[in-house]
Amino acid sequence: MSISPATLRLRTALFWAVPVLACALPLATNPYTQFVLNSMLISTLLTLGFNMVIGSLGQLAFANVAFFGLGAYASVIAMNDLGLPWLATIPLSGLVGAAGGFLASAVALRGIRLYYLAIVTLAFGELLRWLYIHADRLTGGTDGLAIPREGFLGFRLGDDTAQFYVFLAVTVVLVKGTLNLLRSRLGRSIVAVRENEIATASLGIPTARVIVTAFMWSGFLVGVAGALFAAHIGRVFPESFGLTQLIVGFAMVLVGGTGSVLGSVLGAVLLTALPEYVRAFPGMEEIFFGLVVIVVLLCLPQGLASLLRRLSPVFLERHFRE
Amino acid sequence: MTELLTVEGLGVRFAGLTALDDVSFRLSEGQVRAVIGPNGAGKTTLFNAISGYVRPTSGRVLLRGQDVAGDSPHAIAGHGIRRTFQNGGLFPALTVLENVLTGLTTETPGSFLDLLLGRRRALEAERAAIAKARALLELMSMGHMADARAGSLSGGQQRIVEIIRTVASEPPVLLLDEPAVGLSPVARAQMMEIIARLTGEKGVAVLLIEHAVELVMASADRILVMAAGKRIAEGTPDEIRADRAVLEAYLGHA
Ligand SMILES: Nc1ncnc2c1ncn2[C@@H]1O[C@H](COP(=O)(O)OP(=O)(O)O)[C@@H](O)[C@H]1O
Ligand SMILES: [Mg+2]
Repeated sequence: MSISPATLRLRTALFWAVPVLACALPLATNPYTQFVLNSMLISTLLTLGFNMVIGSLGQLAFANVAFFGLGAYASVIAMNDLGLPWLATIPLSGLVGAAGGFLASAVALRGIRLYYLAIVTLAFGELLRWLYIHADRLTGGTDGLAIPREGFLGFRLGDDTAQFYVFLAVTVVLVKGTLNLLRSRLGRSIVAVRENEIATASLGIPTARVIVTAFMWSGFLVGVAGALFAAHIGRVFPESFGLTQLIVGFAMVLVGGTGSVLGSVLGAVLLTALPEYVRAFPGMEEIFFGLVVIVVLLCLPQGLASLLRRLSPVFLERHFRE
Repeated sequence: MTELLTVEGLGVRFAGLTALDDVSFRLSEGQVRAVIGPNGAGKTTLFNAISGYVRPTSGRVLLRGQDVAGDSPHAIAGHGIRRTFQNGGLFPALTVLENVLTGLTTETPGSFLDLLLGRRRALEAERAAIAKARALLELMSMGHMADARAGSLSGGQQRIVEIIRTVASEPPVLLLDEPAVGLSPVARAQMMEIIARLTGEKGVAVLLIEHAVELVMASADRILVMAAGKRIAEGTPDEIRADRAVLEAYLGHA
């Protein structure tokens, strides 16, 4: 069952229809729902980056929350100390995240895999959090850092609607770029390494370079998410980048679907919206969150994306470009 | 016939165990050399040493006169020595077409930025690779399976797809580790035809580990018999058949 040209056109149309329609959303939001929408976009990038190593590459690399923090701190420090405009700190935070990804890949390449990699990368995240607290000259310690009030070329940082359009543009570009990568020989190689690393090398594929690239792209996405997060919250402090954030990110990957770009978006949107709906029942948020994760995974072990795949070949995600 | 692969005094020692002991042979263009011997004889270790998965403790592996021993597996595969795996090396979650495409990775150029931005250069290379992979699958009568998940195929089909994937980049030297194991007679005949076609039409040099005696006798130009890491006999199928020691020990004719 090859995907027909008509299906491919529909897929392209659907892909671009989502951001185009999303542009109209601020017309229908209040400050609160706008804030939640912005959070969804950040979660989407975070989940996309997380999914790259957890899902596509199949490595339990939990350092990504740490890269999220790195990106956020890099953005604020670059604004405060280097005087860079926020927009310019976005790619910078991406590069800082990519550098973090490079470090984590070095750990994986030393043969530390599976649960060991999970523990080492978790420890790395906690170590960074310790640094955020104790390098207070640079990071402001437990109080964290506030972002500057001034804007850039008339762009007011605190304006959630303006932020939304920047977040949306960044997210669409990076989702498209990630899709391009996953549909290329690199995406095939990343999945091949997950499926059988030894056989991958036998095809002349430099597996170490594939692993490093996947980790770095993952770090880039998460780092960018960090820069957006800094502007979104207006302040960075160590507690934002702890284990809770990690568990939520992991849940988004699983609920959406491992190795799936569509899944990253669905998981991020659903699990960002969910806690907002149950705010009315204080104390029940975590239980409800947990219940939804369990129910989705019991009914759809491959995540939400698998449901759509079953409905239509439009949602099939192949690792080549038709 | 041009000599493609020369193995000279190849040895591999694992802590205390000599798995491969001073093995030498030559392999020319279009030639099929079978490697036979009981389990644990060191056949797979020989493949691992040639393809870079195990570092030889002695000896040389020459491809067209150039020593590749000690290079990494992906470098050796890049030089043109490609192999299959005794236990199968397909990527189950990828489709058959995607599996074959992974075999064309070294022929699909484009920098990271080309891929990320979906630049024309990368897209053209991708399109060419897809066309080539589809053509290969058609040629091997597997075209109808292109979009199936590799993990959903029968054992025999998986073996055939693995070979298609391995030869997709037209490597001069092919190492097949028990490709016909567990295959039905029909699939086995198909496998033999594929090997004959590769050597006859493309001049591929094949090193073949195989247990099925009739298959070996029918397809091999020369046979290397191994036991306990050592070469114990070498010759044409007729010579090997006439070798009483080999017959009794390994061919079950005693
Ligand atoms: N990586 C390894 N480490 C230690 N011993 C090994 C390793 N690989 C193979 N061996 C040993 O080397 C010997 C030859 O094995 P192998 O080459 O797999 O034989 P064959 O393929 O002929 O059945 C066996 O005794 C096996 O246990
Ligand atoms: Mg073996």
